[in-house]
Amino acid sequence: MKIFLFLIGISVMSLSALAQNLTITGMVTDAKDNTRLVGVTVKEKNQHKAVVTDKEGSFTISLSSAGGVLIFSYIGYDDVELPATENMKVQLTPNTKNLNEVVVVGYGQATKKQLTGSISKVSGKEVANVPAPSFESALQGKAAGVVIESGSGKLGQAIKIRIRGTSSISASSQPLYVVDGLPIVSTSQSDIFNDPTNPLADINPNDIESIEVLKDASAAAIYGARAANGVILITTKKGRNNEKTTIELNLTNSWSNPTRTFDFLNATQYVDLIELAAASDGKYDFKNDISGYATEEDAINDYKAFYEGNILDYYSLGTDWRKGEVNTNWKDLLYNHNAVANQIDLSASGGNEKTRFFASGFYNVQNAIVIDNKFYRYGGRLNLEHNATDKLSLGINIAVDRSQLNRVTNDNAFSTPGQLVAQIPISPVYDPQTGELNNQTLYGNGLFDAQFNSDKQATNRTVGNVFANYEFTPSLSFRSEFGADILSLYQEAFQGKQTIDGGGIGKANLIVSQSTSYNTNNYFTYTPAIGKNSKLNSVIGMSYLQNDTKQSASYGEQTPSDLIKNLSGTTSITTSYSTSDKYTFLSYFLRANYSLLDKYLLAASIRTDGSSRFGSNNRYGWFPSVSAGWLLSEERFMQQSKFFSYLKLRASWGLTGNAEIGESNFLALYGVANYPELPGFYPVQLGNPNLKWEKTSQADAGIEFGILNNRISGEIDVYKKHTSDLLLQVNVPATTGFLNYYQNLGTMDNKGVEVTLSSKNIDTKFKWNTSLNFAYNKNEVLDINGQIIEGGFSVVQRAVEGEPIGVFYGEKFLGVDPETGDALFLGEDGKPTTDFDNAKRVVLGKSNPDWTGGFTNTFSYKNFDLNIFFTFVSGNKINNAGGYFMSDGFYNGFDNQTTDIINAWREPGDKSNVPRIGYFYGSGYQPTSSRWLYNGSYIRLKNVTLGYTAPKTVNDFLHISSARLYVSGTNLWTKTDYPGDPEINTETAGNIGGGQDFYTIPQARTITIGLNIKF
Amino acid sequence: MNKLIYILIATTFIVASACNKKLDVTPQQNITPEQIKTADDVKGVLFGGYKLLQNGSAFGEQYLLIADLLASEKQVKFVGTFTEYRDIEDKNQNQTSFIPRDMWSNAYAIINSMNTVLDKLDLIDESERDDIKSEAEFIRGIVYFELVNFFAKPYSAGDTENNLGVPLVLDPQKYVYDPSTAFVARASVQDVYNQVISDLSDAATNLPPQQEDFRATQFSAKAFLSRVYLNMGMYQDAATMANNVIQSGEFSLVSTYNQAFNNVGNSSEDIFAIQQTAQSNAGTGNSGLTTFYSAYPVGRGDVQIVNSYLNIFTADDFRKNFWYQGGSIGGFTGKYTGKWKDFYKTVPVVRLAEMYLTRGEANLRKGGAPVGGLTPLSDINTVRQRSSTSALATVTAQNFVDERFRELGFEGDRVWTLKRLQMNVDGYEYTYDKLILPIPQREIDVNKNLVQNPGY
Repeated sequence: MKIFLFLIGISVMSLSALAQNLTITGMVTDAKDNTRLVGVTVKEKNQHKAVVTDKEGSFTISLSSAGGVLIFSYIGYDDVELPATENMKVQLTPNTKNLNEVVVVGYGQATKKQLTGSISKVSGKEVANVPAPSFESALQGKAAGVVIESGSGKLGQAIKIRIRGTSSISASSQPLYVVDGLPIVSTSQSDIFNDPTNPLADINPNDIESIEVLKDASAAAIYGARAANGVILITTKKGRNNEKTTIELNLTNSWSNPTRTFDFLNATQYVDLIELAAASDGKYDFKNDISGYATEEDAINDYKAFYEGNILDYYSLGTDWRKGEVNTNWKDLLYNHNAVANQIDLSASGGNEKTRFFASGFYNVQNAIVIDNKFYRYGGRLNLEHNATDKLSLGINIAVDRSQLNRVTNDNAFSTPGQLVAQIPISPVYDPQTGELNNQTLYGNGLFDAQFNSDKQATNRTVGNVFANYEFTPSLSFRSEFGADILSLYQEAFQGKQTIDGGGIGKANLIVSQSTSYNTNNYFTYTPAIGKNSKLNSVIGMSYLQNDTKQSASYGEQTPSDLIKNLSGTTSITTSYSTSDKYTFLSYFLRANYSLLDKYLLAASIRTDGSSRFGSNNRYGWFPSVSAGWLLSEERFMQQSKFFSYLKLRASWGLTGNAEIGESNFLALYGVANYPELPGFYPVQLGNPNLKWEKTSQADAGIEFGILNNRISGEIDVYKKHTSDLLLQVNVPATTGFLNYYQNLGTMDNKGVEVTLSSKNIDTKFKWNTSLNFAYNKNEVLDINGQIIEGGFSVVQRAVEGEPIGVFYGEKFLGVDPETGDALFLGEDGKPTTDFDNAKRVVLGKSNPDWTGGFTNTFSYKNFDLNIFFTFVSGNKINNAGGYFMSDGFYNGFDNQTTDIINAWREPGDKSNVPRIGYFYGSGYQPTSSRWLYNGSYIRLKNVTLGYTAPKTVNDFLHISSARLYVSGTNLWTKTDYPGDPEINTETAGNIGGGQDFYTIPQARTITIGLNIKF
Repeated sequence: MNKLIYILIATTFIVASACNKKLDVTPQQNITPEQIKTADDVKGVLFGGYKLLQNGSAFGEQYLLIADLLASEKQVKFVGTFTEYRDIEDKNQNQTSFIPRDMWSNAYAIINSMNTVLDKLDLIDESERDDIKSEAEFIRGIVYFELVNFFAKPYSAGDTENNLGVPLVLDPQKYVYDPSTAFVARASVQDVYNQVISDLSDAATNLPPQQEDFRATQFSAKAFLSRVYLNMGMYQDAATMANNVIQSGEFSLVSTYNQAFNNVGNSSEDIFAIQQTAQSNAGTGNSGLTTFYSAYPVGRGDVQIVNSYLNIFTADDFRKNFWYQGGSIGGFTGKYTGKWKDFYKTVPVVRLAEMYLTRGEANLRKGGAPVGGLTPLSDINTVRQRSSTSALATVTAQNFVDERFRELGFEGDRVWTLKRLQMNVDGYEYTYDKLILPIPQREIDVNKNLVQNPGY
């Protein structure tokens, strides 16, 4: 820690004596159109004092000494440094390519030009007013190498995010989220028996100024042990000094419908298919002499009697299925049509000389496209900062909000609306005898659950921090932040007596959860003058984070009636438990950025973290990084180049960690066993006192360029991430009494390329800009000690050495034998076989895409603007895990079938891709085969927005400063081979499972109308 | 100002060192092995064994249901959506099925717990030590018995010294994984039986005749020993053990058959049973006997009675009508046994009726003077008369086989009776490969010393 004192010493010595005051006045204008610029910061170089220009663009500043240099800076303009003169006339040039754009980095800021790491910045504008349940879903396709899978069209669900691939197997691969310096809770706190929910939905997207994604190790290593999966920094909007108060109102209203859904049979088609199944089974039985029928006709008639009696007669409830009296479109019943969402958002920002603020409030209601799924949220934010003295500033950023999510059950529950499609079209919705909902359906009728059940999850969230910044000298300042993220969740669910989940007796549960995180960051920033051509910027500090999560849940049953729709209406508690978990991280960090001649850049950082998640043997880990950059375009030999206006090479290497395995995993543990009257203990976990961090070393090389006066600019990165000491749940023989334990074992690689390009195609009154980003990532599990770790759904997915994580593994479906209608599979001998037991299990593909990206075109002409945004993924597979019920030709039940089954094999010689159907002798029904595995690549018109900005005359007339009316469409068009919606994944949690569709609700196609007014 | 900096630095370090202690976080809802220091803690581990016996992978479901699915043909049909169960019914199960995997791992979790108890007996007061020891041995013994039945060739197949049983683990795992002791090979069927007999004999000798809270008694051990000896064809011993239970006077047949099921607590004929309550049970959603056997909407209604099963009863037999009409969650209507109708009820593991049938059959097969002094005919009629069906005038060994099927249907007895008597099971030779569960693939993968059963 001597370095601390050393740094302090240097700074104290560098303090210079104060000289007499000199007063300078001047005016700042825009170099392009000579308008006076209001609020430009004018600062004397190497001094504290700064002033801002007034309404006339004028400023007055007192200098500490004659011959001082003034720095003029203004958002959106290049900084200018000029020697102070009397009556200065200063012109600022709008920055063409935002090279001087401020980018938020961990514990500080930097300009894009100075960066030596790989950081993607997404402006708040791009996520604001997007009809999405949470801001991250709006990031999809915006940042190269950031892959976002929303999972389904249900609201409030957890989202799978991978930055540069999956870097863990047993630990979480989700990134770390930091809001205004405070790491926040981003994992589900909700009911563990339902899908995970997304605590990030509590952040109002319209409050966000910018989102920075720290991708390489040099950018992320300052977050050390928690950074291996990348870090997403969210900066909320702030006011500016001497800024006229701007009040902004946003109104949006949107209407949603499902994008792509499977096509199901109508009543006539269903009856026809049932008859075909009867004929198929009859013929097969006769041909193979199974039951000993005298004639084929006898056989068919017998099977026909079975199907008609047990299915058609039984489920039609006396209606005439022969005439198609009932034709229920069950799929239609699970969706809301034109599901409405609206948001009102009002904010104000501004400031005077000493104080600046941003305040906002919002109210948002979203109806999901699926019935019974609704999300409300409202809240407010205040960001306030005050300069108490020249040296001391202090402030607070705080957001308080409440959300309520009305949920449906998970995709695998009979009661979930998504499974209504399994019901058969000859089943009436209402019993014709009683007029009540039909309770004699193929599976329990989920409409009862939809009508009588409820599941409401209310969250109160406060995320905020207070901070103080003290500038000892212009080169040395100290910042202290203390923040808290308090999340309390209250979830009440009820299942009525008549419903599937109510079990005939009525059930209810209550879950209460409270997660409290405290975080403090304390750091010095030191920027000593070390010579004419050199700049040094260093940060040294510490951070402490503590999270306490307490949860209690009670499940009860036996309700007198459906009148009391919560736990208090139940008379028998079946399960009640409480949990209490705590984790802590203590960290020290040091970073130095050095630049020589503004063209040679060097940076290094080191962080050490200690965590409660590991035993005392290996509690601390060290996470260093180094990086370098070379601004070639600043070199004299390049300045002649008319082609390159900007060129930078950079490279970095660093080590980051992952500890996201939950608590107490290094300890051997017993749990409480609740056998009646005999309370006891049972062993639950083997210990490993040597457990330590999972490490990811990452090397990155990048080039940034601007050509033709930055008309075309771009960035290309290549990287290699190598994860070692994987925190792996290693299987042990169950004869030990245990199944596995956490060990640091194994390695995994991610390699990839990221390209971001933007171009100003036309820059006249008519403007046309294009930006394109795409990324390739290749994952490979290198060594997991020969283990095979399985996950997935109907088709098994696994982590196995030599393959990317999450490969689908099963029997390869090759089509249909035209003679018998039997399904053909790839056999052990490499030849097609009809014998499933003889089929070879092979790798069938993977769920993570190779290529991902986004493509945006923006046009503007006069007051109109148009934005067209596509996203795409390719190289991944999607398994329709529901296929073995909805497209299996009745073998696994009499579920309504998708229309492609009509083309099933019928007679010898038929060429079909659908094997012989039939409940008794159907073929190709095995859920583990690749029969329902599809190419998951897609390109999707993610968003089109057409806006109209009111002209000045209208503004003046209405006494407003600006107004924009826009209409936008989301997910309007999709091209894919997948028969359903390709943007689904019923398994957003975990690293191995993915690309599985199990009656999953598709994404919404949404039309939004919005109005933005500034006063 | 210099002072201020020093104060800040000092504060930072004070805060930091205070934080350092905060890295020690003790779990709040679990205990570590070092915390097991008292007799109550050790007894807690013993009682934890009962909880694991209640698990769906043990007596809570699979020890009974899987046995009956293995001999399903004339008894039950599986109409549910879990293909792994249907596979077992079809003798089409494979080594990756979760059913053998969970049965195996739960069994060894119980064994490890009991080994832990046996390792920590010194913490128990001497007056109680033998009781606790033999109770742990009882639990370990019955679990090894189930394991060797499900995962190995039947004892009746002979060559027990060479036929592979299951790994015998008799020492506790020491909390920190020890690879040097982890890779245990399969012991022979004979060795496993020897261990079972040793454990159960200890328990039969040392356990008290009565226990609170339906814990195992010496008669629980004797009843299981009667099963063990019956499997081994040691009829004298089987009859002796069954007779010992019958003559203890601790148990009596309930007056009507239905009273033996869906009870809270043990019925008068339960010799050993698993307790369940609303808070502690084998599952209500995806596991547990009631989940599968009870008609929707109480259970899933996945297991229905095969009609032909009802034809093995005479019309006057009370047991013939112990079923109800219902449907499955998948929409199949059918008949459901009344035995597992309600949630949270006791699961009889060994009933007195079985002891009569065992004593009678064993006496008949061994010949000579009957153990207990009552004839096999008398024993079989005791059971029949309880269900108001006519008394037999003469009795054959086959009568006992049939009567066991009538009396113990859906209780997991059928397959073991057929196997021990070398009779075909669902048309398959009693030693047919798929009548034996596979060693779970995950075990084969992780322990190279394990040999897979033939046919997988």
